[in-house]
Amino acid sequence: MTAALVAAAAVVLVAVPFLREPAPRDDSLREPREATKRTLALAEERDRALAALKELEFDHRTGKLSDADYRELVGTYRRRAAAALQGLEPAP
Amino acid sequence: MIALSIAAVLAVFILYTSAFGGGTPSISPSQLPGHNGRVSLVGKVTGQPTGDGHAHALRFRLRDRDGSASVPVVYRGSVPDLFKSGREVVVDGHLLNGTFVGVRGTLVTKCPSKYAPAKNT
Amino acid sequence: MADLGRAALFVSLGLALYATIVGAWAARAGKRRLADSAGNALLAALGSTAVAAAVLVAALVRHDFSFVYVAQHTSTELPTGYSISAFWGGQEGSLLLWLLVLTGYAGAAVLLNRRRAPDLVAWSVPVLGAVSIFFAFMLVAVSSPFATQTAPAEGEGLVPSLQNPYMLAHPPLLYLGYVGLTVPFAFAIGALLARRTDERWIVATRRWTLVAWTALGIGQLLGAHWAYVEVGWGGYYAWDPVENAALMPWLAATAFLHSVMIQEKRGMLKVWNVLLVILAFCLSLFGTFLTRSGVVTSIHSFTESPLGPWFLGFICAVTVGSLGLVFLRLPLLRSKTRLESLVSREAAFLYNNLLLVALCLTILWGVAFPMLSELVHGESRTVGRPYYDFFLRTFGLPLLLLMGIGPLIAWRRASLRSLGRMFFWPAGIAVVVGAILLALGAGSSTPGLAAYTFCAFVLASIVLEFVRGTRAVGSFTQLVGRNRRRYGGYIVHAAIVLLALGVAGSGAYGSSTERKLSPGQSLEVGGYTLTYRSLTQQRAANHVAVRAAVDVSRGGEVVARVEPGKNQYFAEDQVSNEMAIYTNWLRAEDVDVIADQIDPGGAIYFKALVKPLVNLIWLAGLVFLAGALVALWPDAREQRRLATRYALVEA
Repeated sequence: MTAALVAAAAVVLVAVPFLREPAPRDDSLREPREATKRTLALAEERDRALAALKELEFDHRTGKLSDADYRELVGTYRRRAAAALQGLEPAP
Repeated sequence: MIALSIAAVLAVFILYTSAFGGGTPSISPSQLPGHNGRVSLVGKVTGQPTGDGHAHALRFRLRDRDGSASVPVVYRGSVPDLFKSGREVVVDGHLLNGTFVGVRGTLVTKCPSKYAPAKNT
Repeated sequence: MADLGRAALFVSLGLALYATIVGAWAARAGKRRLADSAGNALLAALGSTAVAAAVLVAALVRHDFSFVYVAQHTSTELPTGYSISAFWGGQEGSLLLWLLVLTGYAGAAVLLNRRRAPDLVAWSVPVLGAVSIFFAFMLVAVSSPFATQTAPAEGEGLVPSLQNPYMLAHPPLLYLGYVGLTVPFAFAIGALLARRTDERWIVATRRWTLVAWTALGIGQLLGAHWAYVEVGWGGYYAWDPVENAALMPWLAATAFLHSVMIQEKRGMLKVWNVLLVILAFCLSLFGTFLTRSGVVTSIHSFTESPLGPWFLGFICAVTVGSLGLVFLRLPLLRSKTRLESLVSREAAFLYNNLLLVALCLTILWGVAFPMLSELVHGESRTVGRPYYDFFLRTFGLPLLLLMGIGPLIAWRRASLRSLGRMFFWPAGIAVVVGAILLALGAGSSTPGLAAYTFCAFVLASIVLEFVRGTRAVGSFTQLVGRNRRRYGGYIVHAAIVLLALGVAGSGAYGSSTERKLSPGQSLEVGGYTLTYRSLTQQRAANHVAVRAAVDVSRGGEVVARVEPGKNQYFAEDQVSNEMAIYTNWLRAEDVDVIADQIDPGGAIYFKALVKPLVNLIWLAGLVFLAGALVALWPDAREQRRLATRYALVEA
């Protein structure tokens, strides 16, 4: 008896998405399009560059990075961040 | 770079195995004849063990887990509490004139159920 | 009642099949509602498995011996707490626990991620489902906890050595760890299947991995403490295959937690990370297999059971399938970033990874050796303690050193001058400490001395990191609050240092003595004098406690009285060894006294061991937990940043 209840509950739970939306407008799984994937990659690149800049600054302040190394690396990462930010701008 | 490290690990490994040999054979009493070096003997204790391992050497017979071949064992050292006739044990040692001489402190009982360690080293 | 249990498991199996087959179809065809339905199937499986678990717990508490499992693992006099712990005391119950934890984790993973990353979840659900199918099938068809019989009058009872509080905590924690590694695996495979090479899967599973890894670590330390205090041979780790079974996935997960940071910062090592996650999961399955199949001679192992071949087959299928998928997706995973310098924090992380994986693989080799040599030579050969000790030293000592070096090096590349400046104080302190220890006699063990010196180096570098960081940021709480993962990680490193100190101290610098004593006689060990006074017997509920009263003196003064002895259990007809421990806090060492052989006449063969620093190991557990909690603590700012990043996908 209880077993039947358990089975019934399982069936109901599995059917819920269909019971909730018997006739949905859009039933497709939102898979990122190629364009979105590229945007995502750029966003990750941007976040990485920004985080790297923050970390470089911290490493420099705590003495792990020499002035010369800091200046060189900061330049590289500022350029990378700028490139990523530019890529993320909507096309004019 | 990764290839170099793998090579290094393998080198360390080969060095070790060549220096320390390739493990101790784990055998049962029926496989003993022919083994002259140190082995790990696995089997079931049969008969009436005598002695306590310290003042008087522990003497018992060890037979194959599924079989009848057995060998007398003499052992000095700590004896695990779970040791008794019918238990499965492992003991390191070598065969000498028909008797298996155990290495001190290597007698270990295998526990009949899961999660029950019974070590004595 | 058993019928309900069996039916519930059958329902779980059906749901797992649905989740896998329908879930894969839904992900492939891109059908949202169907994918949601498959995810719900996993949640429902949690429900039905919980029902089955409840049935078993009820039967255990009631001591319903019509359940074969209950009769095998409990008895009428067994206290309720231990009757409940008998749930995981045997084969079938522990499989049920596996399934319960798995469906729990799977359900939580689905619930928390289905809105944020629907395509990723859609592909991860079939993977989680597939693993669930295996365990549910085992429970339904091969090894059921709900077999029934005509109830005997009395049960076989729980092995005495399992009747202690550790039994309540150690196995569940380990399972939270083992099973927890399934979620990162499922998400990694799901990401590969969904062709998503971005870091979404890492962000989704980072916390899970940390939780599982922490549980596995604490579970092992509990096990070690149990072995030390209760089993009483003066040791805490025997390199037993089943102990190694938990250590190997933990090492792989540790490597992953480090290399994942490189992927986040530099976008490198994607393939390596996926392989590590697969390795960790396969090792956790392998560990479960080892404990159950009787393939390896182990004090922990079951007698041979029919589960062995099934498990082996499943592990092979998982390994081949995942590796095949990685191979197929290789072009997607390749990154263009290269390592800029061999002297950089990335490089240090890479060395750390290589050492951890090397240690893990050598342990795996040692565990598999008996099986492999049986196949090749016809007789199984075992490797002994010296094998493991050698590799622990060879890989562990450099790892220890790296823990100190890593934090001091900058990312990308470090110049020699900045290295010199950073290393000066920690290295200096380490050298001074080393010299002092050498003068105090620590030179008796070279690896021990090296370990101590490296530990000093690492501790100094960690302290310096906190000091420099606080100075740079201005406040300690702000420093840790804004960099929870990094500083939590440093705390965990400090815990590992404590662990290393404890292991090195008790391993390399102890002493031991064995002697037969009659009442009044004494023995000397490590500067202590132990005098055997008298023997007593006391009857308890289910055993007789035989105890020897022993005085411990140092420098002529009695500092403690310890009572080593044995417990003789009636029902189980077994004897357990009760080791006595005296902890000398000032000297930071333990004196372990074992009453090895008790003669009827009253003479006792004693074994006494002095273990320096052993309690640091247990302290390490607490520090480890604290560090993990700091690292796990959610960071609102980081959450917001990630939310905005992934909102792009939803757009």
